[in-house]
Amino acid sequence: MATSSSPPQIASEVVAERRGIPAASFVKDVQAYLNQLGLDVNNTLAFLQERLQQYKVVEMKLLAQQRDLQAKIPDIEKCLDVVATLQAKKDSDEALLTDFEVSEGIYARARIENADSVCLWLGANVMLEYSCEEATTLLQNNLENAKASLEVLVADLQFLRDQVTITQVTIARVYNWDVHQRRVKNTSSSQDS
Amino acid sequence: MQQAGGSETEVTWEDQQNINKFGRLNNRFHELEDEIKIAKEANENIEDASNELILTDEEVVRFQIGEVFAHVPKDEVEMRIEKMQQETTIRLEKLEEEKESILAQMAELKKILYGKFKDSINLEED
Repeated sequence: MATSSSPPQIASEVVAERRGIPAASFVKDVQAYLNQLGLDVNNTLAFLQERLQQYKVVEMKLLAQQRDLQAKIPDIEKCLDVVATLQAKKDSDEALLTDFEVSEGIYARARIENADSVCLWLGANVMLEYSCEEATTLLQNNLENAKASLEVLVADLQFLRDQVTITQVTIARVYNWDVHQRRVKNTSSSQDS
Repeated sequence: MQQAGGSETEVTWEDQQNINKFGRLNNRFHELEDEIKIAKEANENIEDASNELILTDEEVVRFQIGEVFAHVPKDEVEMRIEKMQQETTIRLEKLEEEKESILAQMAELKKILYGKFKDSINLEED
C-alpha cells in the first residue's frame, strides 16, 4: 500500500476532536501509554470502557438524527412534486381534480383551479402562503439544506465509529499486554523458586 | 480480538487505520443491503402498477402525488410510471455497483489484516 496514494489519512495529524466528540488517542506502545495515564491496568481498562459507553450514547443520538433527516428528505421531494404539478396545471389552464383524505379511510374530491399560491407548513403551528415559484424555491432550499446536513451527519458518524474501533482495539491490546506481563512474571517467579 | 496467550504483535497506526476502514466498509455494506432491498421493493410496486395500468380501461387514473390522489389521464400516468421505473432501475444499478466495490475492498483488507494478525483478529460476521 503506497502511502502516497492516501495523503489526507496518513500525512495529516490526528484530529483532536470533531464537533464535540473527543478523538480516541492511538496507542503506539502499551507500557508508555500506561505510564502516561499514570493508572494501573484495571483502572485504564475501566477508563477506556467508560469512554466506549460515552461514544455509544452519542452514536445513538446521531443515528436518531440521521433517521429523522432520511424521513424528511422524501417528504420535501413529494411537496416539490405537488407544487410542480399545480404549476403545470395552471399553465395549461386546467383544473386539477384530486381525491384527498378527510379522515382515515374517508376521501373527498376537490377541484383546484388556477392555483396561484400554495400554503406551506413551516412547523410550530405556522403556515404561510407563497406563490408557486416562491414555494418551489423555498422547498428546494430546504431540500438542499437537509441533504447537506445529512452529509455532515454521516461524516460525524464515520468519525465516531472510527473512535469506537480505536478504543476497542486499545482495550484488547491493554488486556493482552497485561496477560503477557502476568505470564512473564509467573515464569520468572517459578524459575526463581 | 482474542487474547491468544497475550501476543505482543505490534499494532501500527497504519494497521489501526486499516481496521477502521474495514469497520466503515462493513457498516456501509449493511446500509447498502437495506437500501437495495427497499429499492427492489419499490421496483416491484412500480412494475405491478404498470401492469394494472395496462389492464384498466379507465381513461382517468387516480395517481398519487404527495399525499393526494390526482385525477390524471392514462397517458400521462404511463409516462410518469415509466420515468419512475427508469429512475429506480438506475438507482438500483448504482447501489449494486457500490456493493460490489465494497465487497472487493473488504476482501483486500481481510487479506492484509489476517496476514499480519492471523488468529489475533476476527473479521467475520458473527
